[in-house]
Amino acid sequence: MTDFRVEGRGRVNRAKPVSFTFDGETYRGFEGDTVASALLANGVHLMGRSFKYHRPRGVVTAGSDEPNALVGTTRGKGRFEPNTRATIQEIYPGLTTESQNKWPSLKFDLGAINDRLYMLFSAGFYYKTFMWPRSFWDSVYEPLIRKAAGLGKAPTEVDPDHYASRYLHCDVLVIGSGPSGIAAALTAGRAGSKVVLVDETAEMGGTLLSEPSVSIDGRPAWDWLAGAMAELDAMPNVRRMTRTTATGYYHQNMIGMVQKLTDHMGDVPEGAPRERMWRVRAKEVVLAQGAIERPMVFDGNDCPGVMLAGAAQTFLNRFGVLVGKQPVVLTSHDSAWYSAFDMADAGAKVVAIVDTRESVPQALQNDARARGIPIHLGHTATATKGRLRVAALRINPVHNGKVGAEKMLSCDAVLVCGGWTPSLHLFSHTKGSLDWDAEAKAYLPGHKTEDVHIAGAGRGLWGIAAALEDGTKAGADAVRSLGGSAGAATFEVADDRTGSGITQKELPTDRSPGKAKAFVDFQNDVTAKDIRLAVREGMKSIEHVKRYTTNGMATDQGKLSNMNGLTIAADALGKEAPQVGLTTFRPPYTPTTFGAFAGYHKGAHFEVTRKTPIDDWAEENGAEYEPVALWRRAWYFPQAGEDMHKAVARECKATRESVGIFDASTLGKIEVSGPDATEFMNRMYTNPWTKLGVGRARYGLLLGEDGFIRDDGVIGRMRDDLFHVTTTTGGAARVLNMMEDYLQTEWPDLRVWLTSTTEEWATIALNGPNARKLLQPFVEGADISADAMPHMSVVECTVAGFPSRLFRISFTGELGFEINVPARHGRVLWEKLWDAGQQYDICPYGTETMHVLRAEKGFIIVGQDTDGTVTPEDAGIGWAIGKKKIDFVGKRSLDRPDIVAKGRKQLVGLLTDDPKTVLTEGAQIVADPNQPKPMKMIGHVTSSYWSEVLGRSIAMALVEGGFDRMDDRLHIPTETGGTVTAKVTGTQFYDPAGERLKVE
Amino acid sequence: MLLIQCPYCDDALPELEFAYAGEAHIDRPQDPSALSDEEWRDFLFIRSNVKGVHAERWRHINGCGRFFNALRDTVSDRFVTSYKAGEPRPDTSGKEPAQ
Amino acid sequence: MNAPVTSFDAVSVAVLPPVARFNLRIAPADLAVASRIFGLTLPAKIGEGARNGDRAAYCIGPDEWLLHAAEVDQSAIMSGFDTARAETPHSITVLSDREIIIGITGPAAIDLLSTCCPLDLSRMAVGHAKRTVFDYAQVVLIRDGDDAFRLEVWRSFFPHVHGLLEIGVRELAIGL
Repeated sequence: MTDFRVEGRGRVNRAKPVSFTFDGETYRGFEGDTVASALLANGVHLMGRSFKYHRPRGVVTAGSDEPNALVGTTRGKGRFEPNTRATIQEIYPGLTTESQNKWPSLKFDLGAINDRLYMLFSAGFYYKTFMWPRSFWDSVYEPLIRKAAGLGKAPTEVDPDHYASRYLHCDVLVIGSGPSGIAAALTAGRAGSKVVLVDETAEMGGTLLSEPSVSIDGRPAWDWLAGAMAELDAMPNVRRMTRTTATGYYHQNMIGMVQKLTDHMGDVPEGAPRERMWRVRAKEVVLAQGAIERPMVFDGNDCPGVMLAGAAQTFLNRFGVLVGKQPVVLTSHDSAWYSAFDMADAGAKVVAIVDTRESVPQALQNDARARGIPIHLGHTATATKGRLRVAALRINPVHNGKVGAEKMLSCDAVLVCGGWTPSLHLFSHTKGSLDWDAEAKAYLPGHKTEDVHIAGAGRGLWGIAAALEDGTKAGADAVRSLGGSAGAATFEVADDRTGSGITQKELPTDRSPGKAKAFVDFQNDVTAKDIRLAVREGMKSIEHVKRYTTNGMATDQGKLSNMNGLTIAADALGKEAPQVGLTTFRPPYTPTTFGAFAGYHKGAHFEVTRKTPIDDWAEENGAEYEPVALWRRAWYFPQAGEDMHKAVARECKATRESVGIFDASTLGKIEVSGPDATEFMNRMYTNPWTKLGVGRARYGLLLGEDGFIRDDGVIGRMRDDLFHVTTTTGGAARVLNMMEDYLQTEWPDLRVWLTSTTEEWATIALNGPNARKLLQPFVEGADISADAMPHMSVVECTVAGFPSRLFRISFTGELGFEINVPARHGRVLWEKLWDAGQQYDICPYGTETMHVLRAEKGFIIVGQDTDGTVTPEDAGIGWAIGKKKIDFVGKRSLDRPDIVAKGRKQLVGLLTDDPKTVLTEGAQIVADPNQPKPMKMIGHVTSSYWSEVLGRSIAMALVEGGFDRMDDRLHIPTETGGTVTAKVTGTQFYDPAGERLKVE
Repeated sequence: MLLIQCPYCDDALPELEFAYAGEAHIDRPQDPSALSDEEWRDFLFIRSNVKGVHAERWRHINGCGRFFNALRDTVSDRFVTSYKAGEPRPDTSGKEPAQ
Repeated sequence: MNAPVTSFDAVSVAVLPPVARFNLRIAPADLAVASRIFGLTLPAKIGEGARNGDRAAYCIGPDEWLLHAAEVDQSAIMSGFDTARAETPHSITVLSDREIIIGITGPAAIDLLSTCCPLDLSRMAVGHAKRTVFDYAQVVLIRDGDDAFRLEVWRSFFPHVHGLLEIGVRELAIGL
């Protein structure tokens, strides 16, 4: 089968044959092969179908710029990946690959009917074809387009692989390990800089791997390369990374790099990460990414077997594979001549070298003649013959713009070269300017915005000697920028292959250009004709042409097509290329997995899950959880057979009748300390603090400067100069930040310090008529009797021997205590109270019961009953404002015209006419259910529960002018089309006089 | 990800340690009650939305905890300089953005 | 507390026993007072640390110090500062339970920390400490040696941070 493998050529390991499958058939290659090189070695060029027309396509390149040879790879369950470039994927034993965009088979594809209907699919076809009838869009066009569109098929299973991340800091990052990159790394490494050298392929060397005939410093290229690698590896300050693609270049020399760790392995170590995202901060960057060869644009240029000449040279020299035995070379650049020579020297019968130029260096012509290769100068190519594989190339002489008589050249491959485009994608990410070089007919790096050096073919230089020289200079420049010193190295290069060429639009033809399928963008099936059509239809900017034709918008981001597209568009517009502009390259440089971006953030680490010191107990006792900010909190504790409704009803009842225990550890806690603490509190909170005695507590209300409620919580005075502030769970960090902001930037004269103690304390709330009876025996150092410790007070004591800040407060309307103990003792104390509480049928309750109990009392939850537009008056808690205070944060806003205006939304109670109906939170409220749609919505339900103690539903709502609507009936349309009617009430549904707090 | 110079730590540190905090040099009035509704509105809501060099507040929230001010070019997203809270805006006319 | 250890030869991650920990806030001008009470000269520059036996002090903000001491000394230290408060205003808060301390040691310690910490750790001097981030969690990172670090993380973030460190150790052990 290995008909096309050439003995003595290539770097694959002939001692290690590797079997893999492609479309169910088994093929053999060698260790070091890519899927593309191994298939080519077996004579397979046809590797896929195109996206739009389903045309047969073969491999075009030998690298990451490949537009056609995209395959699906599989490695067991959940490990399917579409659109893998066959030119990058290395083979390993057992690798399974399949072609894409074909049905039923690659060789016979029904979708190829699109190719016959190509008139329908010309530029802008989406915009033109599917416009009528309108009703067809949802039912017919869109589903069809969705089914037909897209490259490959998306995986359907959860990705079981691991992905890793790492930060890396270095002096000099060198991207690309061709001759210029290696020279830069050697130079900077020798100077002692911390160097990182990366390459996207499996082996370093770049062009050198494809040019073994060159000699450097008197040694064959590959010997020199081995020596350079050994020298770099011997330097402790140099790190070499292969299979690592720099995908994005961000501010201040931060480069994102994706390293493929296991995709080349037959046996993947258990638990190994598949890829690693490196976030590199480099002081200096050297871009040595080389240049990308351009195809030529002519009818049939996408036939399998038509490929880039440089790629053919790489397949031969790096992989030992002849891509054809009778190739024709079609070029406008000297470089392809050398490809022809290498092919001939390896045993191919080169049918001809066809050059569009009339004048070519004599030396090249002599070398061709010496090998017996016929030469056709000043010729164009006008068609290919063959469908699944090229069989002949039609060429014609061009003289004074006139296309002459045709000639057919039988062949099994056409090796093309339309010139080389400096690879400046990463440079473009930095917003560095690309300047048009009229002589090179290329965009070259201009103004730089980062500490970056571009070396070698990336800035239009040609030949290995020039690349080495430029690379060492870039390395030395980088070292000097770092304040070091480095001399540029010198390299003696023999048998270098320098050259030049021209850039051109689609090749001239003697046939109707309107019928030519001359592809510019292979991946998105864009032809030269499409680009000219776009210009005719009024697209004048290259950005418009790009979007209208989709040229350069496929996963290869136009690596092959952008310059050809620009040249053709410029010609159609009658302008020079720089006047038409250049589209912007954006990260990532090559397609990147979501896994690499996600890194460790999946499963349990998708985001932080904060857990309290009592979380384990809740888990062991069957709690259901709900997320609150980043915390997971016990939501309710269902017993056997209970749903949430039943469990919550039971927890509410138990707490109101005897005692409930609740984990309140997530409440934010801030220590406000210092001689000016009272003044600070007076300025921050709406309430007055001066007269609050030590050992007493008060409900505190915090506004934004705009007058709207931001947070609330109970605040205890521990000393004259020390407050224990509590905040909502979700507001803890925000409140501390806001306090720090005022303290540091508005009132730096105040001697106050703030410390978060949220997690220093575990907080256990006991609520219910038996709360004191349960707690009393554990308390030492304080009298917690009703007389000694009234409602809203705080004392320092020990509870079960643990130092404690003990609050008597209530968020339920029942007798309540909140016990703060050092966090490590939280669970122990909980269990002691739990054991002792059995005599009172103690009941653990979660956040849902807490919400119900507080709603029965009309206590608000900031963020649920308020939404950032609610003032204290709106919420019915205007009493919390210190009326005599001259100023506090937000005070001035309470006099703003909009705040004092009539008709503001105000927080009221709602009692449904049918006591069994529980309103939906968030439901909209209307005054008249019979008004035409769209109805005027006058408010919404903020809290709604079943109240077990009241035997009916209760709700709170923000309603326009709500306080003036007492006893009115309002209507709440439901999602099922009905309407619920409810009466407007106050918000204190249960024990409005507060009798239940007075338990002796 | 940017590197941000913290004037208190005297070091350029990863953006992940910092939090943006709005436009700088907007002082809370000494006596808000003395302001007209319009003046108070301007204090609350009206911001300059500069295209170019913008004076803004940052907090080294995952570092030393300090609020400070910085000049940043909103076009290039590059910092010109940073300085401590309470210090006047430095004159940077003609100065190139810091790298 | 039990000290679960995750390790292979290049790096180990251990949960360290708690110590008495305090957050001290005081005007830099009054630093000498605090140094006298604590019995250790407090460093004046952000990032710097000082250590003597059980006592350690790290400057983590312009007026903020993290103090470490033996647990048995906790109340004596609080009393000492209490006595001085009227004369020299300051704030001292016990935080012995707020954070859990994780020790990370071994030649691959920096590699492990670099999975989730964006700082250039090679620039951090031995004996220094700084508040920074590890993934989404705020932490205080202390460098005890070339290959030895301590990470102090808020208790509720501990499962997240420790879980990531365990993943990192496994990853480093595989060696890819």
